[in-house]
Amino acid sequence: MIRIERRLAQPRWLAVAVPLGSLAVAFGVMTVVLLATGHAPGHTFSRLLDTGFGSKAALNETLISATPLLFTGLCAAVAFRMQLFNIGGEGQLYAGAILGAGAGIVLGNHTGWLSVPAMIAAGAAGGAALALVPAILRAFFSTNEIITSLMLNYVGALVVNYLIFDSESYWRDTSSPTAKVFPQGKNLPDAASWPVAHTTGFYVPFGLLLGIVIAAGIWLLYTRTRFGFEVQVIGDSPRAATYAGMRTRRKILAVMALSGAIAGIGGASQDGDFRHTLDPRGLTAAGYGYAGIVIAALARYNPFAVCLIAFLLGGLQNAGFALQGADFPSGLVGVMQGVILFCVLGGEVLMRYRIRFRRTARTSEATA
Amino acid sequence: MAAAVELRDITKRFPGVVANDGVHFEAAEGEVHALLGENGAGKSTLSNILTGLYRPDGGEILLWGQPVSFASPRDALEAGIGMVHQHFRLVPPFTVAENVILGDHRGEGKKFMVHPRRIERRVAELGERYRIAVDPRARIWQLSIGEQQRVEILKALYREARILILDEPTAVLTPQEAESLFETLRVMAEEGRTIIFISHKLHEVKAVSDRVTVLRDGKTIDTVATADATPRSLASLMVGRDVSLAARVERGNEVGEPVLEIRSLWAQGDRGGDALRGIDLTLRAGEILAIAGVAGNGQRELAETITGMRTPTRGEIVLCGRRLRGGDAREAIRAGVAHVPEDRLHTGVAPSLPISSNVVLKSYRAGSVTRGPLLRLRLIRKYAAELIHRYDVRGGGPEVPARQLSGGNLQKVVLAREFEGSPRVLVVASPTRGLDVAAIETVHRYLREAAEGYVGVLLISEDLDEILALADRVAVIYEGAIVGERDARSATVDELGLLMAGASE
Amino acid sequence: MLLAAGGINNSIIVVVLASAVAYGTPLLYAALGELLAERSGVLNLGVEGMMLVGAVMGFWAVQRTDSLLLAIVVAAVAGGAMALIHAFLVVTLRANQIVSGLALTIFAGAAGLSSYLGNDLNVAGQPAKHAFGAFLPHSWQSAKVVGPILLAHSELVFASWVCVALVAVYLGRTRLGLNLRAVGESPAAADAMGINVAAYRYAHTIVGGAFAGVGGATFTLSITPQWVDGITGGAGWIAIALVIFAFWRPTLCLVGAYFFGAFSGIPFTFQARGILSGVPPELFQSLPYVMTVVVLVLVSSAGARRRLGAPASLGTPYVREER
Repeated sequence: MIRIERRLAQPRWLAVAVPLGSLAVAFGVMTVVLLATGHAPGHTFSRLLDTGFGSKAALNETLISATPLLFTGLCAAVAFRMQLFNIGGEGQLYAGAILGAGAGIVLGNHTGWLSVPAMIAAGAAGGAALALVPAILRAFFSTNEIITSLMLNYVGALVVNYLIFDSESYWRDTSSPTAKVFPQGKNLPDAASWPVAHTTGFYVPFGLLLGIVIAAGIWLLYTRTRFGFEVQVIGDSPRAATYAGMRTRRKILAVMALSGAIAGIGGASQDGDFRHTLDPRGLTAAGYGYAGIVIAALARYNPFAVCLIAFLLGGLQNAGFALQGADFPSGLVGVMQGVILFCVLGGEVLMRYRIRFRRTARTSEATA
Repeated sequence: MAAAVELRDITKRFPGVVANDGVHFEAAEGEVHALLGENGAGKSTLSNILTGLYRPDGGEILLWGQPVSFASPRDALEAGIGMVHQHFRLVPPFTVAENVILGDHRGEGKKFMVHPRRIERRVAELGERYRIAVDPRARIWQLSIGEQQRVEILKALYREARILILDEPTAVLTPQEAESLFETLRVMAEEGRTIIFISHKLHEVKAVSDRVTVLRDGKTIDTVATADATPRSLASLMVGRDVSLAARVERGNEVGEPVLEIRSLWAQGDRGGDALRGIDLTLRAGEILAIAGVAGNGQRELAETITGMRTPTRGEIVLCGRRLRGGDAREAIRAGVAHVPEDRLHTGVAPSLPISSNVVLKSYRAGSVTRGPLLRLRLIRKYAAELIHRYDVRGGGPEVPARQLSGGNLQKVVLAREFEGSPRVLVVASPTRGLDVAAIETVHRYLREAAEGYVGVLLISEDLDEILALADRVAVIYEGAIVGERDARSATVDELGLLMAGASE
Repeated sequence: MLLAAGGINNSIIVVVLASAVAYGTPLLYAALGELLAERSGVLNLGVEGMMLVGAVMGFWAVQRTDSLLLAIVVAAVAGGAMALIHAFLVVTLRANQIVSGLALTIFAGAAGLSSYLGNDLNVAGQPAKHAFGAFLPHSWQSAKVVGPILLAHSELVFASWVCVALVAVYLGRTRLGLNLRAVGESPAAADAMGINVAAYRYAHTIVGGAFAGVGGATFTLSITPQWVDGITGGAGWIAIALVIFAFWRPTLCLVGAYFFGAFSGIPFTFQARGILSGVPPELFQSLPYVMTVVVLVLVSSAGARRRLGAPASLGTPYVREER
């Protein structure tokens, strides 16, 4: 007979063994899936590993892929930690990209390098503003933030598309002859390009460094400050928080705004670090926001773990895009992410419960 | 009389505790058999095993001499065992009839479609016969707690239970309602049913049962005929030492100025409607004022309104002469109101956070534990360790999550935190619910000490024994209003019981 | 302007209402399924993923077997299989229902399994060999007003009405439906009365997935009918909101589905008519999403005070031996 009993205490080694074990199971499942659909697992995995991490060039590409994931991962982690399920990282990133590109275009020609902090600030403002919509609805109207933040993702995508494809907006490039026929975004002036740290063959985007600093800041905020203490209590028991006199509504607004701001900076980073223009097709196809949720869940909302997992998943995404083609299964990235997440979620049961196998001690037979 | 149910050598373990350790129990047909023990002795676990909710780790269950094994509650129900739980297993939005027929396989239950009228008729019949009538069409959330309990009993009768287990049934009844329940039980026993009556209240056990089995620390201590036992002998079996039952201790301290004045307080309940209807109370420094009443008459809302967790719609709350805006817990805390809530695990603490966090749950903003926006974590941990030592909290150190503590130790943490805030007013709601005797004594001691320290203590409790033992004055709340006040030294249980049932002055 | 040339059946109102029914049908299927799952206490946010998998598998089945009936069955099974993963995680392993549902969306969704299968099975870029379409006699279909709105539809639409009726009767008048509602409202009570809580949750979550699969197949076998990656365009999420909008009642799901369906259809109709042509299409396209938010706000602020219909145990795992 299998019995599941709640654990009293969690031994330390469990926190490492369970995730690793889950990953192992995930790889096993992926192997089966690949075999069942006629792809060679060993070959697929080794190509993934190679394209993702196998060379300096690969690693540089991975750093590029990891940067937006780091931002959206932190965005989700910051909010989820307080049981605020902000699914709107995607849209908040778009909002940040819009405002960030705008700041870059406007200021790049006039103020030189100042345009970079301006873009960061604009991106943060855009993301925060969008996140405040579900936040206000949740805090004052008790509306579930999952659906509202999600719906705004679709609206955000439509806005970004509109700005470049269906309007004569400031963001649209109207100068070149081709631009009239094939709509595209204005290129950001050179001064609005974010710096790149260049050492020993590695090119580290400024956005990535910024993201790591933000991660450290979040960690400090949540573990060492009064703000973070309140977040912990509200996340654990909103009733206890009310009982203790904490201002729950204000916290909801603050945390959601912070969450959206981080995603928004990620959007500005896309403009400043990599694309140098407002690129709706690229942004909406990438799905950074949703990947960020996966990362946050896998990292158990720890900011440093988010950094690590963003890096790993960045490699996976990078490899997935690079290898896309006739002989490589598309959608594999989503499938792998999903399988890993399932296995980690399933594995969590072992952290909270213990599974016991025992023989029935009684000799009487069931009669009922 | 044959043994209807027999439990031999039953053992049940949970992580960290052995709830039942080789328990022997046997009850006959037509008997009302009490299962007595203090909180934590293992009575509820035993009954859950009998009803198929838990599976024993060892031992046997025999019904009418035949060994049985229950894989699920359904098996126990089919074997003729019915239970009235302490926390009712009812579905609030359903009608009485729907609750009664839920999960039933026989008769009406066998049909694919549900015909409410036939069930309602049968429910009405049963209610008539046993004098526990309820409107079968009423929805559970509309019923009073006493009526809900009747529905629980009707469920068992509808299933023709031969063995009926009642778990602490009088906790939610007025003394008069309890009498009426005992009548019903006697009628059922005379029909040949076996009634197992679980309680920790001695006078009830004396009043209703034929035999008593005493449990302590998960073991069977003894089974005696009720006629041969006295409350004192039962108490000493229950606790394991000689207990003096005259529990009232006079404090003899002076009572001072009013620290809390409530004038014409009105507040809404969770489902709309008024939970508080013009409450008037005065609490003085150094006195213990008890609020007595059956659960659901506004006690929770009163505690929440005074402590700022609920906004009043009308009326005034005045603390030490200062009028509170109301609806703001922080304001109440700053004004010196301490609160030990009814639901200690889900309101009084953040359950997954460590003791050290919970100890500063209200005081984390104070300068003593902060450096600017940062918290001084090491200092907080030291403070927690100190409190753990001073209040004798067992179960671990400052880093242990609050939910791992036992009820008594958790309550000590909450009390420690509230006392350390140097309050003027202490509002405690059902402070000893679910605690064992030792913990109850400790909590009562702390409350008396608080009063001696010139704190005004507002004790909200459903336990009249506790109230009469501790309080200076008693006010009875009924349907959101205070219906009477008495000096606790001279009040009688009957008198208070009548007020609790709504009999006006 | 309302009564354009071509008679009343060509008027804006009738055309919009007719398209409301057509576009609302996948929403209706998915919402009915999610309603059943949520009534048992399980929140399944993976509806979008399940719909997409149903869409691609249904399409593949019709291309391979030429049988629309089989295609629907395959779509249902595919959706149910996806839901089984979620059910296993949240009922048996007691994982967080929100994260598990999101994982399912990522796993099965537009950049995941549905895309994987769609490309591996080579179903892109081809029209469906057979599709569900209006089949009643033409004279019926052109009946005034009623024709286009109610009769000029495919079997899938009519079947969806039958499903609404069946679910409504199931919930309200049958013993199993009573047990289901008990499981969702008060699993402890249901358990104590001998009802197998886990079984009900598994069963209704899987059936919910089957419905979602059929809803997804409605796109590829009727509305488009072609397979494109991500063809549902967020319909699964709207369906989740729809269940709340409908206060967990099947008949209100019908009303809500068509309400939202109307907003999906308006952009095309207006554009085709040149109505409001100065307005960018994105504005119309954003209407369903914005309306979802508005409706949710209205429902939540009223419902917050009187808990209108949300199954009390929604989102929380049930553990019998909790101490």
